[in-house]
Amino acid sequence: MKYLRYVCLLIISCLILILGNPLLVQAYEDTQCFICHTSAKKLIEITREIAKTRPAAKSAETEGEG
Amino acid sequence: MEPLAPHEKIFVDSDIVEDENHGEIACHECHGGNPDDPNWKTAHKGVVKDPTYPDATSACGDCHDEINEHYPKSLHVSLRPYKLITDARANPNAVVRNKLGCAMNAHCYQCHSSCGQCHISRPNSVEGGFLDGHLFQKKPPMQEVCTACHGARVEKEYFGENEGTQPSIHRQKYMKCDKCHTGEEMHGDGKEYANRYEVENGPKCLDCHKEIYDREAKNVIAHRIHKDKASCHVCHAQPYKNCSACHVGKDKNGLPFYKSKAAWLDFKIGLNPLKSEKKPEKFVILRHANVDRHTFDFYVKDALSNFDALPTWKLATPHNVRLKTPQNSSCNACHGNESLFLLERDVEDAEKEANKGVIVPASMIPRKQKWQPK
Repeated sequence: MKYLRYVCLLIISCLILILGNPLLVQAYEDTQCFICHTSAKKLIEITREIAKTRPAAKSAETEGEG
Repeated sequence: MEPLAPHEKIFVDSDIVEDENHGEIACHECHGGNPDDPNWKTAHKGVVKDPTYPDATSACGDCHDEINEHYPKSLHVSLRPYKLITDARANPNAVVRNKLGCAMNAHCYQCHSSCGQCHISRPNSVEGGFLDGHLFQKKPPMQEVCTACHGARVEKEYFGENEGTQPSIHRQKYMKCDKCHTGEEMHGDGKEYANRYEVENGPKCLDCHKEIYDREAKNVIAHRIHKDKASCHVCHAQPYKNCSACHVGKDKNGLPFYKSKAAWLDFKIGLNPLKSEKKPEKFVILRHANVDRHTFDFYVKDALSNFDALPTWKLATPHNVRLKTPQNSSCNACHGNESLFLLERDVEDAEKEANKGVIVPASMIPRKQKWQPK
């Protein structure tokens, strides 16, 4: 009986190690943030859309060094 | 530095999921927003671009608790020297001080760092953007992070990009910033310092060159004679960039601007304005700081009414040291050579009072030597 308990614990630990990470990764990869921010095509489209409406972020009057 | 294209700035490398330390942290856990919303406009509601500034506790603190504890007092985050220097020069009037504070917030205090702006993205001052697809960089890359901010002076000195100068000998030995400026120094040690020269774990030439005073060492006589009299840079630095007359304001679109006069290359030895047990030398290198009595006039007149409280020529450690320089080629290349010293005639009339403590009186210039060691 005692031996069986150790075997079960070993099997569960292995399952966690083998399956645990891919499960978490899967959840991570499913988010909209990840889907969009890993797609250059989508980001180009969105940043072009933003650029049409957003004014310049830096003043053209800046001059000199330092 | 050429900014990244807008989409490049926010492109995430999918390899991040393989990062054993950070790969399991979902985006929204640090940045907020709604990870399930397919509409990018509404999904970004409440998103925090840099969740590590000014407080990194929720983003980094759980794991990097010791660094996080000291982080707010790191000079790269606290910017305490800016505050102390401006306070010393500021008009004591409360209304004026308040307006000066607004100006500082809009300009000077924008130039800070954070965990994210060293280890994940380029600093905001160069328009940000991920260093490598949001992959965490244990050691920040020198030219995308360190010299992105420290570009006008340190980078040009270190790489020998100023006309007529050579790269630092340390550059030629392929040393990067972190060889001298360790992570411990950058992260802070929990103490509040008034300037970088006080930082206890900051770099010192003697950390590596401790043998220079040994009897058998090359040039031991020169090193022993000048110990505590002249800083290492007095003999080993090359000409470096000086700036002046910084003026700040906002343009017609409300965007902050910074204007300064053309920078110039110079080399000036002056009296040590920060003489201490740790920095006992009488003579040091001085650099003209990018400040002016009228820097904040756009916001409020006479903001720096106590301008003369501090010198405008400040202690400097140019990052372009060489073993052999024109001034150390012989004793008399420096001794008696007035052109190397900051004399009263070198300082603008309006700044003479401020710099009286660092100007070298003619009588203090070391006299020419009749005997010279081989």
